[in-house]
Amino acid sequence: MNEDLIIFFSVLATAGRVLGLVLLSIVTGWLLSYGAIKGKIFENIFISISEVFESVPVISFFPVVLILFITRIGGSLGVELAADFLVFTAVVWNIWIAEYQAFKTIPREMVEVGENYRLGFFSILRNIYIPFSIPRIVANLFPSISDGFFYITVSEVFTIGITTYQTFGIGTEMQALISAGNTNGILLAFVFLALVIMIIIYFLRTFSKHAVAKYTVDTDTPVIRRGRFSFKNTTRRISATAATPFTRLSKYYRRRNPSMKNEMFEPERAGVNYSRYILATIGLVILAIILYSSTLLVLSVSAGEWSNLLALTPQIIIGLLYDYSRVAVVIAVTFVISITLGYYLAVNSRAESVGVPLIQVLTAFPAPVYFPFVYIAFYPDFHSVFGPLTSEFFVIALAFISTFYYLFYSFWMGVKAMPSEYQELMKNLNMGFFSKMRRVIIPSTFPYLIAGISSTINSTWGGLMIGEYWPSIYGSRTLEVSNGLMRFIDINTRSGNLGAAAWASFVFGIVVVVFSIFFTRRMMDLARKRYVAEEGVFAA
Amino acid sequence: MRNPANLVGGVGPGQPISLLESVNIHFSYENGYKVFENINISVGQDKFVGIVGPSGIGKSTLLRIMGGFLAPDSGATYLMGKKITKPTPKVVFVHQSIITFPWMTALENVMLSPRSMKVPQSEAEIVAMKALEDVGLQGFEELYPKEMSGGMRQRVAIARALAANPMVLLMDEPFSHLDELTAEGLRQDIYNILFRVDTPLKGVVLVSHNLTEVLELADEIYILNNIPATVVGKLVVDIPRPRSIRNPKFSEYLDILYTKLSPPGGKKNE
Ligand SMILES: Nc1ncnc2c1ncn2[C@@H]1O[C@H](COP(=O)(O)OP(=O)(O)OP(=O)(O)O)[C@@H](O)[C@H]1O
Ligand SMILES: [Mg+2]
Repeated sequence: MNEDLIIFFSVLATAGRVLGLVLLSIVTGWLLSYGAIKGKIFENIFISISEVFESVPVISFFPVVLILFITRIGGSLGVELAADFLVFTAVVWNIWIAEYQAFKTIPREMVEVGENYRLGFFSILRNIYIPFSIPRIVANLFPSISDGFFYITVSEVFTIGITTYQTFGIGTEMQALISAGNTNGILLAFVFLALVIMIIIYFLRTFSKHAVAKYTVDTDTPVIRRGRFSFKNTTRRISATAATPFTRLSKYYRRRNPSMKNEMFEPERAGVNYSRYILATIGLVILAIILYSSTLLVLSVSAGEWSNLLALTPQIIIGLLYDYSRVAVVIAVTFVISITLGYYLAVNSRAESVGVPLIQVLTAFPAPVYFPFVYIAFYPDFHSVFGPLTSEFFVIALAFISTFYYLFYSFWMGVKAMPSEYQELMKNLNMGFFSKMRRVIIPSTFPYLIAGISSTINSTWGGLMIGEYWPSIYGSRTLEVSNGLMRFIDINTRSGNLGAAAWASFVFGIVVVVFSIFFTRRMMDLARKRYVAEEGVFAA
Repeated sequence: MRNPANLVGGVGPGQPISLLESVNIHFSYENGYKVFENINISVGQDKFVGIVGPSGIGKSTLLRIMGGFLAPDSGATYLMGKKITKPTPKVVFVHQSIITFPWMTALENVMLSPRSMKVPQSEAEIVAMKALEDVGLQGFEELYPKEMSGGMRQRVAIARALAANPMVLLMDEPFSHLDELTAEGLRQDIYNILFRVDTPLKGVVLVSHNLTEVLELADEIYILNNIPATVVGKLVVDIPRPRSIRNPKFSEYLDILYTKLSPPGGKKNE
């Protein structure tokens, strides 16, 4: 009885942590994005940092987080902050970039109205910028919240050397229940967690429909009911307006747009603008702090230590090659499933009304929490099929279930954003499935696919990080693979060899950023130049 | 070409006390496209000024400069002799594309302007209701823009402008989204509202490609042409109000406008 309550509150604590940090991301994002559109230097620093950190998988922050929060702050506060920081970095970049893009694409005329009446800072944010950014934020909330939940098991409990740090939440609680073999408790935890996630997704879906009805700027959807946001009104509004509000939301889903910066026209103002200098100074100070602390870090490592680290590097690179092969497998499987299932759901509204919420709930439900049970239940079956590759199979399966969603969601959004004229055209020409895919659907969803693939790659690392070395996944069982960078980082973190772990993360970070610059961005540029379907239909 | 007495080729600066005056405006966009070369426009007290010109010549840009939204490369705009360096609620701009905020009701949209001038909530509401009534939208205060027709939305935008109690109204094609019947009604309404005694409004600048409309409303018409654009003519419309297109002078003025508006000969300097 008492234990049930503890489980219940631990679920609430975790959900509160995730939602609170999402909220914090949203609010800080508004301020930072406003700063970014007001000051060029600040903008460049803010966007560069966000883009780099967005493409570095959250998990590679982990050693740094551990060093900073556990050794510098310490105590239960340090552990709590470490957990919060990990979740925060999982959700924040997506949201910040979405807000920045919204602020960047707000019609010049709207801003001029604000200028004309000389709205003050808060007034212009509250009346113009914030409402305008809402559809974009909402469209990015589904993946962000899933991302936030995903890391609860690793963020709430972690082990360095012989010490285990933990903070209150369902991730910690679940581990305790498993080691105590408390089957009822485990079941109850699942039920509570599922309930809370379902409620969150339900609110989010409802709110996104409301956001589409109220905050989108295009003018073709009449709003039937007015007044405050209330469920009764909203459902009526929805049924009376867009048949599929997500179609409209899809236009706001993040498609990376690296060269967005020049898109909005910014009038040069006569007179001195002090805020610009203040912003530039803040940006430069942030940059200086980053440079300073990295210099300190480099200097604090002795020469002997450096040669050790360098000696480890070939091993790190080999591990990275292994991991990239795993990523490739995950992407290939995800791609095939996403485009078939995603397309089926996008064009089949009855299947969609069940399938999409189901997938949203399943994805927000953190895979690492239930995976041990899947592992233990199916191990014998899969072992008879895969033999020595069974662990490999489970690791890839974990990575798959934890990332499948991003590509699926992105592609589904892309199909929804396709001009309905394309659908009619394809019907008209009576095109077959493969012909449709090859000639119309994949090209016209290309920007979404690239965005989805890049998110999927990023979060595949998270799955690998957890799966490649998972001691006592269930009882005394350990899931591990023989080679892999994530395993390397895991093992070194656990054995307290943080220098090696940080160095591996650093090498990894560089590879990822280079990959993002040379691959993802190029593909996005290509996508924007050739494949923006919305422009293929001439409509005012 | 015949040059009637009231067609003056270009106006110089230094005419006495204009309400709003743009002097020697040169302007290029950041991409280097030169839009204006030496534009001079003067709006007298209680004058309705029209600006016409071929599409893309820079009419909207000019209104933005006159409202302080864009800073010219050289030259300046003066309101009652005071230089305008940034937008001010004394000179309100009504955009070519109808700008209402979909997340605010008609009333909230209109209240935006008095509220931003620190008028208390209750008083702002009264001002806004009055403005909505002026544009014929009483009873529609609680509708959201998405529930309104294009013409109603444009009237909301105009009401928002009026609620700011401006001295000058800059209107960029305010009637072009409306059907002819609605536009005609609104034109008359607007003209009547504009120069009623109880408003501080002292002048209007109207950009339009509809020559009949401009001739019907304006006291003076500036004609922009060439690339970069200059004022190629100024027409003082001397027809008693209410004006009728059947007045022979009307078609005479129309002819002049048409001649002056032949497409610019110069190449775009991109
Ligand atoms: N932000 C901008 N950057 C660069 N060039 C611009 C920008 N805005 C407008 N222009 C160019 O300046 C010129 C004038 O534009 P403007 O919108 O003022 O024309 P307009 O006379 O109002 O046209 P219309 O009658 O079609 O409304 C056009 O050639 C346009 O291409
Ligand atoms: Mg224009």
